[in-house]
Amino acid sequence: MPQQSHDAERGPGPAADLSMPPERRRAAQAHAAALAVTAAKVAADLPLGADVDDFRRILTAEARP
Amino acid sequence: MELEHLSARALAAAIRAKKISSVEATQAALARLGAAHALTNCTLSLEADEALSAASACDRAIAAGEPAGALAGVPLAHKDMFDRVGKIASWGARIRAPAPATQDATVIARYKAAGALQIAALHLTEFAFGPTGHNYVLGHARNPWDPTRITGGSSAGTAAAVAYGAIPAGLGSDTGGSLRLPAAACGIASIKPTWGRISRAGAMPLSPALDTIGVIARHVEDLALMLGLLAGPDARDPAASTLPVPDYLARLDDPVRGLRLGIDAHVIGSAHPDVQGMLQQVTKILQGQGLVPAACRFPDWQTLDHLVQLTQMPDCSAAHAAYLRTRPDDYGPQVRARLELGHFIGAVDHLTALRARGSYLKRTLKNTFKDIDIAILPIFADPLPTIAELDIGGGPTLQAAMARVVKYTRPINYLGLPTLALPVPRGGGLPNGIQLIGRPHAEAQLLAVGRAYQREVAPEIARPLA
Repeated sequence: MPQQSHDAERGPGPAADLSMPPERRRAAQAHAAALAVTAAKVAADLPLGADVDDFRRILTAEARP
Repeated sequence: MELEHLSARALAAAIRAKKISSVEATQAALARLGAAHALTNCTLSLEADEALSAASACDRAIAAGEPAGALAGVPLAHKDMFDRVGKIASWGARIRAPAPATQDATVIARYKAAGALQIAALHLTEFAFGPTGHNYVLGHARNPWDPTRITGGSSAGTAAAVAYGAIPAGLGSDTGGSLRLPAAACGIASIKPTWGRISRAGAMPLSPALDTIGVIARHVEDLALMLGLLAGPDARDPAASTLPVPDYLARLDDPVRGLRLGIDAHVIGSAHPDVQGMLQQVTKILQGQGLVPAACRFPDWQTLDHLVQLTQMPDCSAAHAAYLRTRPDDYGPQVRARLELGHFIGAVDHLTALRARGSYLKRTLKNTFKDIDIAILPIFADPLPTIAELDIGGGPTLQAAMARVVKYTRPINYLGLPTLALPVPRGGGLPNGIQLIGRPHAEAQLLAVGRAYQREVAPEIARPLA
């Protein structure tokens, strides 16, 4: 049964509890890995004090109504 | 009076002046929407009885001399993702809210306060999560210019109905391009305001960090009118901006001569040659209106594209995590595959993208906008694809194909900047569009440029090309 083969492929790791065919799981892993490379590069240049709220503050501070 | 050609503003004036009744306008809109639906699959539910009853009440109020709102009696219809009292929005999906809404979404309430009517709930990509108009649950939307072509998504039904002339304008939302892509594909205009300019209270969330409510219309003056009615603070949405709302209508005729139009040749260079040609054509028209082209350079485009995915995908997946585990087969294949992806992105990477957002916005304003007022970019990277070409379900080519469709739209959502979509001159061919990107809260400037553009490129009504 397809469900069983998906279960056998899951193993540990992220989204282990999602029912996904193995090829889609591998594609998602590869895509996330490519994004993680960018995240690492961006993080390397980011000051420790960078805050998720900076974005909203700048949108308001730089407003040109 | 050719009603389908009128702007909402002009139609409202005609109703107020009793040149036409709201009932007549609504009956005509319902008939046109029926024809539009037969061609494009744009409607999810027609609400004729309610709309005609509201139109009749409006006519009685006007006859009695009661004050009329700016859109009194004007028939509109919206993407079916907004709460309305007593109704369950479809969200374009099988999975829906368990009970009818007890409060209108803020945008619906503000339209009602202005006297507008809602005659239908319109098609959207499943959960507003798809840029093409494909919907594997409720059926694909079809383009009114050529029903074999995509409408763009996710605000597919609003764009198709507006382009056909069934309604003058309607609501959409934009998380990665969902107001701009359908406007371009259907040959009309849209405004995606600055993130936070319009309250999202009562709108179906997709990725709250990026979700932006906006308007699709044929006439830029309707975008200005409606943005003015919808924008402003809202206690129900803590992200809603408290900045004063300009009088966008009054500023439509602001001078545009001398505004510097930024062109990033490097980013634009990845578009299909035909699309680059369209961009040059629009640039020339805007030059004719006095804008001055100037070179600019956005931050690395692929980095922006990765950052917006790192922001969006876990956001969407978190919202759907429970249903994806318990009801996975109730999702269509594209949305299911894209929701799965978010589970593979680590929390640290997601937060890195969120923490870096302010820095990238600041860098964009300091560098890209240093010597320009507005930037111009394509919306689609390619000429309009067919529905069949992108009918790829959740298969292995999905991510790459979707990435190409949203190449020029999704990174702008990361920056949160306001964007006006305008149709390119068709020259008898298929529609497409460009986007003008402004500084934060510079919607009035964008709309003034859009108004100047429409002096040269008049709005059109969509009908199938021979």
